[in-house]
Amino acid sequence: MTSADVQKRTPLTALADRARGFHLGTFWDRWGITAVFVILVIAAIIIQPGVDRGAFLNILNITSLLKEASYLGIVACAMTFAVINGTFDLSVGGQLALTSIVSLLAFGIGGSGLAIAAAIGTGIACGLVNSLLVTAMRVPPFVATLGMLFVFRGIGTLLTADGPAKLPYADFGSVFGQIGKISFGGIPLVFVIMVVFFGVGFVILRRTGLGRQVIAFGSSPAAAKFSGISATKIRFFVFVFLGLSVGIAALTYVTRIGTADGAAQDGFELRVITAAVLGGASLQGGKGSLVGTFSAVMLVTVLNDLFRDLQVDSAWQRIILGCVLVVALAIDGLRTKFPGFSVFRRVTALRDQRMASAG
Amino acid sequence: MKHTKKWLVAAAIATSAAVALTGCTGATTDDGAADSDITVGFSVYDMQYEFFQAMAAGTKEAVEANGWKYVEHDEKSDENEMVTGAIALLDSGIDVLIISPFKPDALGSIVDHAKELGVPVIVDDIGGGGTDYDAIVVSDNKDGGVQAAGYIDETVQALGLTSKKVVSITCQPDAVYAAQRNIGYEDQITSLGYEVATSLSGDSDATKAYTIMKDALAKDPDVSAVFACNDDMAVAASNAIADAGKVPGKDIVVVGYNGDPSALEAIQAGTVNATVAQDPNGMGKLTVELAKTLLDGGKITFGDDENREVYNPVTLVTSDNVADFVK
Repeated sequence: MTSADVQKRTPLTALADRARGFHLGTFWDRWGITAVFVILVIAAIIIQPGVDRGAFLNILNITSLLKEASYLGIVACAMTFAVINGTFDLSVGGQLALTSIVSLLAFGIGGSGLAIAAAIGTGIACGLVNSLLVTAMRVPPFVATLGMLFVFRGIGTLLTADGPAKLPYADFGSVFGQIGKISFGGIPLVFVIMVVFFGVGFVILRRTGLGRQVIAFGSSPAAAKFSGISATKIRFFVFVFLGLSVGIAALTYVTRIGTADGAAQDGFELRVITAAVLGGASLQGGKGSLVGTFSAVMLVTVLNDLFRDLQVDSAWQRIILGCVLVVALAIDGLRTKFPGFSVFRRVTALRDQRMASAG
Repeated sequence: MKHTKKWLVAAAIATSAAVALTGCTGATTDDGAADSDITVGFSVYDMQYEFFQAMAAGTKEAVEANGWKYVEHDEKSDENEMVTGAIALLDSGIDVLIISPFKPDALGSIVDHAKELGVPVIVDDIGGGGTDYDAIVVSDNKDGGVQAAGYIDETVQALGLTSKKVVSITCQPDAVYAAQRNIGYEDQITSLGYEVATSLSGDSDATKAYTIMKDALAKDPDVSAVFACNDDMAVAASNAIADAGKVPGKDIVVVGYNGDPSALEAIQAGTVNATVAQDPNGMGKLTVELAKTLLDGGKITFGDDENREVYNPVTLVTSDNVADFVK
């Protein structure tokens, strides 16, 4: 009876909160991680790490930072689609390694044009494989993409059995090599690519029927099915979109690193999922924000840069990053009343009950 | 109202996390400050390995002995971290970049960026990736092989072995610097009148080295010595000799390379006769010496002009001096 009371009251309190104009919870949902990112940047400017021309605001540092963010960001954008859709792709690390290798090998055969086509093509092909496994073969996405992670990395290792694929130093000046190098007044091309990708992603997610179907399916697959949304079509799109994103990301990655083998970017999938989740996407589906993911990618990149400049020991870097993730989700948990916080809920419920009987 | 309270809790957690973060990062800002306007950045392969810890220690000591500032970056065996971190070092305004690259092929954008900024790049070991670096310091691997051959000849005679057949187990073919060890060995041992009966690649892998040694003994039971490109393979070869019913170290002379703890133990036990120890600490010091030469506008004397290589001496470790190397 008490729980029913509380539940009945909830919509009312929510309404009352909204009526007040500013609601911290809503603000956190929409801008929380962005706000944390802004605070971190301000902190970085105040601390000003670096050697002598070294301030954080140094244009060179910012250019490098934006370059570093881009390949993670592009895949994190597509991963946000997947997480909103209630799934995720564990194979993106393998896809990135394989796509980078194929692209480098293609450069050796046919130059810049073939290398770019090979990257995009391989990315989409990897996405298609995942799509087919998940939709046609009905393999659960977790298992399908975990399996393909090993397969993609394995193929990558086979292709680089005679040593890592590489972009020869002399070819850093080629069109392909320039992708990772060019910048316009401090803004690198690869970052522009990332921003455009996010822009396109935002339009698809928020302004098209396809995007709404992705969200609807994520919040309630059953309801979506009854509304005539095809689960197969949506999942197919999500995984191919991820493959495409990896193809583009590989171009921004490999032109900067210049080498790849089957073990390249180990653990990439977890960094991508971390960024999406830190950005506010819920692994239960239905919830997520591209603005949040963008901010999370920038946050993680700036944090890494600060760690480096401040010479933080690598063990501490891992601990702090882990804590940031857990704290962000703890806040989210409190906010969305994640079942894990039952003690907290019980306390507040008791208090509400008392207040209800008092009032 | 309930939500607002909850939000205060959440905000408190966030704030304390932020404070903890800045507090913990802020604490490290003031170390390594010296009175000088020269800063040397060292990007190291992976600080988990003893070899690179010693290299970093040597580099740091030499930098600070010059009164310069030392900044370190750990690549953590990751090519992306290597590129991003080394470029961040360059961007932060270092005057010289010293780097032991996890992936030599990933040096391209780093060296490119350094050239744009006019910062000299000195590579420490591993490889230069065909880039435009200013100098690369490597162990004098060829001389290590030559020393091993000389030692083997002496020991074979001292033990009264009559056969002139020897075995050579190499590292993987694309490890060009490591390959010099066996080249130096095979050239020298041949000129001392021996015959290299078997020379095969064990891919730096102990299991493969074991098989190679077993097969070599089946082919020529009267082999008098074996030289392996690394210590793991030397220890494996020693085991293969024992399993074939001979006494390693007495019937067949076994020499390895690197000065790893496994080989040092085996030398003390007598199952391996010797190893050739590299000196990562000395290599670190040498890179700083080269940096000083470059900054003073001097010219580096290369051991190999074409590849801009500078060699760091290696030491033969036998039962006589093994105690100096065991920690």
